[in-house]
Amino acid sequence: MELGLDVRKSNAHAIVDVKGEVDVYTAPKLREKLIELVSEGSYNVVVNLEGVDFLDSTGLGVLVGALKRVKAHDGSLALVCTQDKILKIFKITGLTKVFPIHSSVEEATDSPPAE
Amino acid sequence: MVRLRIPARSAYVAVVRLAVGSLARVEEMDEERVDQLKIAVSEACANAVLAHEELGSSEPVTVSFDREDDRLVVEVAHQGSQSDESGSQVDSQGFPSRLVMSFALIESLVDSWQYAPTPDGGMVARLELRL
Repeated sequence: MELGLDVRKSNAHAIVDVKGEVDVYTAPKLREKLIELVSEGSYNVVVNLEGVDFLDSTGLGVLVGALKRVKAHDGSLALVCTQDKILKIFKITGLTKVFPIHSSVEEATDSPPAE
Repeated sequence: MVRLRIPARSAYVAVVRLAVGSLARVEEMDEERVDQLKIAVSEACANAVLAHEELGSSEPVTVSFDREDDRLVVEVAHQGSQSDESGSQVDSQGFPSRLVMSFALIESLVDSWQYAPTPDGGMVARLELRL
């Protein structure tokens, strides 16, 4: 099971397009990519989950960890997600109160980056 | 009953998801509930695999599927106690731990569940979903 990760830049944000299933096996790959971005100085990150078929608590933990890292640099981490089955995961765990969740990458990157 | 014994490696959790999805569809469960069951069972399997990794155990994780009257029952059994992640429910910044999130997902997505020790010193998560 492969996890697809593509990174692009737009409007001072680093956008990570995630495709596939994010679970206990694949989540480390996402973690490494997000750590790499922060270490390279990308502190305003958008994680696009529109291509995600499955997300578990390990994936949520990776996103929480990334949020902490960017916030340590006064940065931001936003999500893009419109899939009800994925949004449900965030609602159940209370993380809709933690992450800004947008309906498109454009909407997410239109938000001014944290300074 | 269908029983799977999977190596306690994270790569095999997806195999269990495929199996539980197929079995739930055999029982004519609707797709939304199939998705819910897959998440819950995947969480239980992930917890089991992580517990084995922490223990350094090479023993397999056992997953069983059975129909009991009007319920689909899935049991995920593993060795050792629950992962040490349970040491703290929230971190210093108020974020819930992975295990807290996992339990919240299981609790919300199945009709009932129990997590209890087994006579051989392991743990078993029993998940039930009404058909």
